[in-house]
Formats: sequence, structure tokens, C-alpha cells
Amino acid sequence: MEEAELTTRLAGYIAGQMPQARDVAITDVARITGGASRQTYRFTLSWTEADGVARRRGLILRRDPADSLIDTERRVEFEAYRAFHGTGVPVPEMLWLEEGGEALGSPFFVAEEIAGFQAGPGVLWSAPYLETHAILGAQKWEILGKIARADPAERGLTAALPSVKADDCWRRELDHWEEVLDADESEPLPIIRAAIRHLRAAPPPPAQKVGVVHGDYRTGNFLYDDQGGVHGILDWEMCHLGDPLEDLGWSFNPVWYFGRGMPGGLLPRETAIAVWEQASGLRADPKALKWWELFACVKGQAIWVSSARAWLDGANRDPILVYPAWALINAQDRAALHVMGRL
Amino acid sequence: MKPDVAQVLADLAGRVARNAAPQIPPAQRAGELGLSAMLLGLAAEMWDGAAEILVQENAALRALLASGARVSQDNARRRWLVELAGSRDGSLRLSALQNANAELRVALIALHAELERRDDAEARSLEADIWRELVAGAERRRLAGSPI
Repeated sequence: MEEAELTTRLAGYIAGQMPQARDVAITDVARITGGASRQTYRFTLSWTEADGVARRRGLILRRDPADSLIDTERRVEFEAYRAFHGTGVPVPEMLWLEEGGEALGSPFFVAEEIAGFQAGPGVLWSAPYLETHAILGAQKWEILGKIARADPAERGLTAALPSVKADDCWRRELDHWEEVLDADESEPLPIIRAAIRHLRAAPPPPAQKVGVVHGDYRTGNFLYDDQGGVHGILDWEMCHLGDPLEDLGWSFNPVWYFGRGMPGGLLPRETAIAVWEQASGLRADPKALKWWELFACVKGQAIWVSSARAWLDGANRDPILVYPAWALINAQDRAALHVMGRL
Repeated sequence: MKPDVAQVLADLAGRVARNAAPQIPPAQRAGELGLSAMLLGLAAEMWDGAAEILVQENAALRALLASGARVSQDNARRRWLVELAGSRDGSLRLSALQNANAELRVALIALHAELERRDDAEARSLEADIWRELVAGAERRRLAGSPI
């Protein structure tokens, strides 16, 4: 769909959601590049209230592409954002969700834009951000601890997300991502297959609690400022119920070291664990955490090979799908070797 | 490496040409060309060494499979390993080298899994050799900008 058509149809949709408003218009539509799983646009909505007051608001549209890097339901992401809005976990306000294709051709949601902050990790490695790493890292793992501490039932997520037993969290996730590898890999992966055998041979203990797992909590998926403040946790499309250590392990995936030799490129591993334990009230059992770190390598590799598969199958030829396949498959192999103590 | 470099370059050529059109919104053009430039850089880095890496890796894998043919306790697998260990890279086309590499890797995975289930010294020794090659292979394929 061309941008002009998208703008017209989106304006029509929003006008239908705001029957009290007049002169609903959309301007400044701009695609935000970089996301491989959803098409993201920022735009300005303007309208006139029934009392004649003119208003404007910056909003975000997240729409499913023809073939996504990650196959997830739009509702999962929407409900996860909604669950944490107004809590100590900063997220944008969700406005409207459409799960059908009638309005814009594919499912989408519209949310508040949290403007004025950085998201991509590229600028983090130079001034003035370089000086903020300790504060930013502490914020990052403190917020992850708050997600781990949250009660899924209180947050209204037990209705939206499939349940799992504490002793089955690891198996469900490993089964799922191994199936993705089986279906999507275009080249055999001896290191990751050895990692899977290792994980199955020595499973972790049952989860301390079945909590909310963000599913993609890493540097690059939150909004930050130049003082080390975090203003929005993004990309909840892989959110699920499970072992909170899964998120901690994913945040320690060495492909997110950014060449700086520490988790997220921000904090020493032990410091990040201490912050997370304090905020979550949970213990990061070293053996269990190691299991989830190696699992993160398997999951990461499954996502990267899916990216290659989506491009190879031709449904989506976005070059963003080639980047993980080329740049991260070897890095993820190396990460797995590192976690297994072989590199 | 998948997708194949040649396929991606052909796709990028079309993408760059489309972005030369004046009506493309500047933000979209910047995003697409930035990504395309990044991929071209990766292609340039991978392209020069790709054949040499695959030839080296295929030779190393054939040597491991030859050892596996002597050590494996599975008759059908032994015959399979002998056959693969005796194969050669008849063409230096990347596609041919990659196809051979994939066949060899499938056999290596099966051999590796068998050795892990065993506890004898012969199996342990060959398993250690396999890990050394897996590490060496990951090093060979490492890109300059690797995060780890």
C-alpha cells in the first residue's frame, strides 16, 4: 500500500474511532526504518474537539508486513503494552488495535509516540552517552526486574497469554524455537544443534515463579536520553508467560555486547545481576541463568535463520531481513561457543 | 551464507535504482539506501574470502568424517561417512561449495550426537576434535564488525 493511500485509510479509521471529533487529519507520516518484524510509522494526528478546541498528538502506527521476522499475534503486543502502562515500567499508551485486514490491509495498532529520545544503540558508544552507561545499565536491568516482579494476573495478562507450568517453561520455549530452526534453517548449524542437545540433557530447575517475559529485552529495544534515563520499553511482540530468567538470559546474549565485552555493552554481568535481583526480588541461580543464556543463543539463531527464510521465500524482500542472516548467524554461533566456555 | 550474495546484490541493484526516482520520500530513501550500503559492505567483506573459507572447511569436515567412519558404531552411518569423506570439491562455484558444505555438516551433526552418547576414549577424543573444528570454523567466518 502506497503511503498516500495508507494516510487516507488511516485517517478514515481514526475518525471512526473518535466520533466526537471533527476535522480529523493525518500529517507528517514517516516510516521508521530498522524494525524487521513490523512496519512502524510516526505521524501527527490533528482534530477538533466537540467544544471547538483544536488538538494535535504524535502517534505511532505498527502494522504487520507481508512476512514478518517474528510470527506473533498483534494482540499479544498490544495487551502487553497496555498491561504495563502507568506502572514503573515505562511504555507508550495504546490507543486502538485492529486484528483484521479491512482497515489497512493487515493487522495494526496505534499508540502514543514517546518523542525526543534515542532508540537505536548506534549513538550509545560516543559522547555524551558514553558517560551514562552505568546509570542507563542500572535503569535497564532495574526495569527488567520490575517486569519480573509483576504479577501477570494483576496486570491482566493471564487472559491474553497462554499459561505454562513452572517446570515446563524451559521445555515449551526450547521446543518452540527448535521447531522454528527445523522449519526455517537454510544451512545446517552444528554448533546450535550441539547447544540444543546440551540444553535438553541438563534442563534448568522449575521457574521460581511464572512471570511476564518481555521476550526481546535488549539494548536497542528501549528509548533513552543523554542522562541515562529510560523512557519507554518497546517491542513486546514476543511477550509471554514463563521463567523470568529467560529475559535476563536474553539480555546477556553476547550478540548484544556490541563489541564492548559486557551485557548490552553497558554493565558488567555481575552488576546487572545484582540490580535485577534487587528489583525483581528473585534470585538468579547461576546454573539456571547459564541455561537460559545458552537458550538465548538458540532462540537468537532461530530468529536470524527465520529472517533469511523470509527473504529467500520471496514474500518479503526487505533488506533488513538480510542483515541478521549475514551479520548475526556467525556471531550467534560464536556467542553459543562463548556461553559453553569453548571460545 | 544465506541468502546468497549474488541474489542479494541483484535485489539491491533494483532497490537502489528505484530509490533514484524523485518521488521517493526522503526518509524512506535514506532508510533504504543506508541499509543497502550496510549490506554492500558486508557483501564486500564476505565475497573475497568465501570460496577459500568453504574449501578449508570442507577439507576439515571430510577429515573429521573419515575419523568418524573409523570410530562410529553405526554401520549405516559408517558407510555414509566413508562416502562423504571420499568426496571432493569438483567446482569452486560458491553454490557448489555451499551444497557440499551443507551435506558434510549434516553428517557432522549426526556423528557429533553419536559421540556425545558414548563414554569411551576414542569417542571423547574425536568429539574434542569436532569442537576444535567448530571453533575454528566460527573464527574463519567471523566478520570484522562482529559484536563478539
